[in-house]
Amino acid sequence: MSLDGQKPLLAMREVVKSFGGVRALAGTNLNVQPGTIHGLVGQNGAGKSTLIKILAGIHGPDAGSIEIAGQRYHHLTPHRAEKLGLHFIHQERLLVPTFTVGEALFLGSEPGLGRLPLLNRKRMKRQAAEAIYNYFDVELPVGALIGELTPAQQQIVQITRALLRSPSALIFDEPTAALAKPEADRLFETIRRLRVQGLTIVYVSHYLSEIAMLCDRVTVLRNGVDVGTFNPSEVPATRLVSMMIARDIDEMFPKKKITVGTPIVTVENLHRRRAFNDVSFNVRRGEIVGITGLLGSGAKELVRCLFGLLPADGGKIAIDGRPVFLRSPSAAVRRKFALVPENRRKHGVALDLSVRENMTLASLRQYSRLGFLQSAREADTVDELISRLSIRTPHRNTAVRHLSGGNQQKVALAKWLSRRSSLYILDEPTVGVDIGSKVEIYRLIGELAEQGAGILTLSADLLELLGICDRILVMYRGQLAKEFPAAATNSDELLACATGADLTALPVDG
Amino acid sequence: MAAGTSSPEMDAVPVRVRLTALLRYTIVFAFVAVFVFLSLQAPSFFTTSNLLNLLVNNFALLALVSLGMTLVILTGGIDLSVGSAIDIGSLVFISLVSSHHPLLVAVFGGLLGALLVGGFNAFLISVLRITPFLATLGTLFIGESVQQLATNGGQPIYLITGNLPRGFTEIGRESFWGVPVPLCVVAVGIAGFLLLAQRTRFGREVGAIGAQSGVAWYSGIQVQRTTGLVYLLSALVCGVAGIILSSTVKAYVPLSGNAYLLDSIGATFIGTTLHAEGRPSVIGTVLGVLLLSIVTNGLLLIGWNFYWQQVGTGVLIFLVLAVSFLGRRARA
Amino acid sequence: MHTSLADLGEPLPNARRSRPTAGWPSLLIRAGSLFAFASAMLYFVIVAPSFLSFGNIANVLEQSAILGVLSFGMTIVMIGGGSNIITGGIDLSLANNLGLCAAVYASVLRNGQSDATALLLTLATGLAVGFLNAFAVVGLGILPLIATLSVMNICAGFELVLTQNTVIPASSPLLSSLTDSGPLGISYLAWVLLALAIVLVLGVEFTPVGLRLYAVGAHREAARAAGLYVKSYIAGSYLLSGICGAAGAVLSASLLNGSSTGSGAILLSIVLTPLLGTVFSRRLVPTITGTFLSVLFIGFLINGFQLTNVSSYWVNGVEGVLILLVVAATSLVRRGES
Repeated sequence: MSLDGQKPLLAMREVVKSFGGVRALAGTNLNVQPGTIHGLVGQNGAGKSTLIKILAGIHGPDAGSIEIAGQRYHHLTPHRAEKLGLHFIHQERLLVPTFTVGEALFLGSEPGLGRLPLLNRKRMKRQAAEAIYNYFDVELPVGALIGELTPAQQQIVQITRALLRSPSALIFDEPTAALAKPEADRLFETIRRLRVQGLTIVYVSHYLSEIAMLCDRVTVLRNGVDVGTFNPSEVPATRLVSMMIARDIDEMFPKKKITVGTPIVTVENLHRRRAFNDVSFNVRRGEIVGITGLLGSGAKELVRCLFGLLPADGGKIAIDGRPVFLRSPSAAVRRKFALVPENRRKHGVALDLSVRENMTLASLRQYSRLGFLQSAREADTVDELISRLSIRTPHRNTAVRHLSGGNQQKVALAKWLSRRSSLYILDEPTVGVDIGSKVEIYRLIGELAEQGAGILTLSADLLELLGICDRILVMYRGQLAKEFPAAATNSDELLACATGADLTALPVDG
Repeated sequence: MAAGTSSPEMDAVPVRVRLTALLRYTIVFAFVAVFVFLSLQAPSFFTTSNLLNLLVNNFALLALVSLGMTLVILTGGIDLSVGSAIDIGSLVFISLVSSHHPLLVAVFGGLLGALLVGGFNAFLISVLRITPFLATLGTLFIGESVQQLATNGGQPIYLITGNLPRGFTEIGRESFWGVPVPLCVVAVGIAGFLLLAQRTRFGREVGAIGAQSGVAWYSGIQVQRTTGLVYLLSALVCGVAGIILSSTVKAYVPLSGNAYLLDSIGATFIGTTLHAEGRPSVIGTVLGVLLLSIVTNGLLLIGWNFYWQQVGTGVLIFLVLAVSFLGRRARA
Repeated sequence: MHTSLADLGEPLPNARRSRPTAGWPSLLIRAGSLFAFASAMLYFVIVAPSFLSFGNIANVLEQSAILGVLSFGMTIVMIGGGSNIITGGIDLSLANNLGLCAAVYASVLRNGQSDATALLLTLATGLAVGFLNAFAVVGLGILPLIATLSVMNICAGFELVLTQNTVIPASSPLLSSLTDSGPLGISYLAWVLLALAIVLVLGVEFTPVGLRLYAVGAHREAARAAGLYVKSYIAGSYLLSGICGAAGAVLSASLLNGSSTGSGAILLSIVLTPLLGTVFSRRLVPTITGTFLSVLFIGFLINGFQLTNVSSYWVNGVEGVLILLVVAATSLVRRGES
């Protein structure tokens, strides 16, 4: 399929956009041919979401233009974008949780009751069921509220809503993040069917396997510029990845040589109803242990139990040999545990508080005497942490909201450094972090291990785990399936274990 | 994460942004403007006796109540039952005095009464996890009932002047170095709360809970315990206000505490305009109370019809809020 | 090559389930509340046989008219503004709006104008207050809690100016006819309440406009994505509540034969009833029906107390306990939402 064959349905030419003093897009181009599935990939911070938001009319470009079906526009508004037939399936489900499926589908274009301006709920319900059955071949629970549906079901409603408005193009933004495999497969089927019907699809995703499977063409963004557009079946994934990060993968992870000490925490037969069962492992001083598993494997719940966020129903957690009951995060913190949570903006840092206040939040007792804070000592420690972690901030009193994602994550980490925690529990520590900060965070993790702390890191990024961990625990369906020494395994083996493929002895494609 | 969120360079800040940043200090400007205006328009305004009167009668009690309210709003909640704490503290105090208990016992009893109200709130909010608005609304309703039942429909309890315990009249009338006792108490209160909010671990925890309670929880802060303490503290300071109030009028007048509710909320929120991110602060609240006080006092002196005063106060608050919120919008 | 586990995923049956807002716990609360409602009524019927008499019911309706009309206005603001109390929709100026409008009505009548003129001006006043609220919240972006708080002060002030802190007597054909017996022997006051209830239930819960108002309050982003002009809906809700204030004022003037005294006291009850009323809705959101039912409940409660010689001083306390029970119950349902 050549680029000059047809006129593109959707094109963005030399789009430039800055926020504050920061350039998000520096002359980006995108050409989407009609009736194709066009992928968009790039690291976080590469400009993907800014580009999509400009297309959606949420922002206007500083320079450049947008071309839809031959018509050139300088900037769009959400209304105009919709009138031109562009519909967006955002990551956030923009559906009202207390509405029924019918109400959510028809909000804004409700069918009337005869000539009266009244809601025809019966008809809405019926038409909703019909539409969903037509497009997706499923039946959603009748009369259910949006808030009662699973994320996949909500997405079905979202897509149906868009389809009911006769779109000319559908733009998906990370659609499979919350979906299970069969649900994602169903989504792909639907997307392929839509393409056959002549719809144009733009598919933004992190997951290169999906891109490879689905897209006719893919555009790679890096640092606000499109660095290439290819047919994904002609290009190996490694090449895509290196285009995205422009760096040799091996350089990212620090080399380390640490002697591992005694176990800090030992978990024995830990079990929690409907989450995980009979899990035993330990984390030793100076050791970086990775833990991974699919959605629902229990890995996430295990990590939360270890920090006192969830109670365990049975089993034992021992610190330095002594059993403990972790009833709440404050109990865990008192025992020198640290947690860097996955949802940075919600749980990791308080956006409206300053860098200083965030950094000392977990160790206030250390800086106070008789309840009073000693600001000089606090300020010194904060400054030291800022320089040690290379956190870019105008001042220690700046609100964290103004920092970039990577720097925010560093602040979230720094919070625990001053406590000299003995066990660091990291939940997806580099998600949404730019590549430079990622490398710095890996370096820091290595330093912490060198200083004798134990690290337990939960991640879905197998390359990352292989790069930094000494051992990797793989969870499958609530059980600790297997423990791998990182140096002696590869991502395929880990994947097979996590998906249970190794149990059925079926060949796994690489 | 959206693109373009790497560190913003703060090199060239446009003039317009700097001007709108000044709007943060609207309340200070408003205060100065009103103060100067009143001083010029009413010769009796800028006199020691009037200013003192202003502080004691208009400022002191509202300031006390607002201090507690500030701390509560800092945790992201609200306390609608401040009136009940004031009144029940006052009720117990006056009852004990009129039944010939020593002054110290009466004061202690009054504070205990107020703490009961605060304890009830703390229970509802920290233990039962009921949202503060509704929890304190419930307390307020119950408190009103309690007072009505205790006083058989709202009969005040008056103290007989001849029968007062030692030291009683001192509370309302005496002064240290010319500063009346109520003002001393308020000054101590302000200093105390300021220290608490800015210089103690507790204050930091309170701020974190209000900013993002999830983060506080994940950082190991005992959110429920600290939140409960805040409501106790608010009730305590309201109890102090109730004792001062009733000793000044030498009576317990049921349901009189409610008058302070809306003004304390208003003062606290006016005070939030001082902060870049719109968070409450002790200084801001004090300024808010000062503004409200000089307006109430000053308009009367200018000779404004008493009824127009309330309009004036309302309009002034409205304008301060308007300017400040507009400024915040413009900067966003 | 698979680089990330996130490519695949197969959840355990119960993983990642959204929290239900209307499963059996909600049903339990709703059933429980109706049961409580019914048993309280039953108690009163047993102890005071005249409780269920037609005349008594009519009496309750009449006495609840003002609370009802104002509560409807508050409900609409809450629907459009969202349920978070601090940042969501609330109209604290409603009670004093009523006071101001009643003062306007009485003053205009006192000046020798006709009912029609008085009505028009009163309506205009209510709308003006609503407009001020709308401007403050939507135009200036001030938090509804403090925006309406300051408007409330302005209303109270203007009311004092008009009434000079006295009660202005008012009597007119319209006012007397309102308290007259109408069809079925029920006074027109009660009919106004019923009529307004029916109109608003239809308008809010059965029309597209009402649905959109709910959308705006429940999920502003989703409403915007659906192409709704969010600001118009929020502004409109404040205008509507202003009108409710004016309507309530007319009813109040007829009941009291003049302007009101201490109109502010009713404010807390107006805030209470929509929140109590959420238990009557399947989705646990404020609804006109739910508000109507809780207004009636409070009315019957007060009436029942009167009939059984329970001191009216218990009423406030009971209302307080009720709201706490309802809230404790609903928060138990919602527990687990992080």
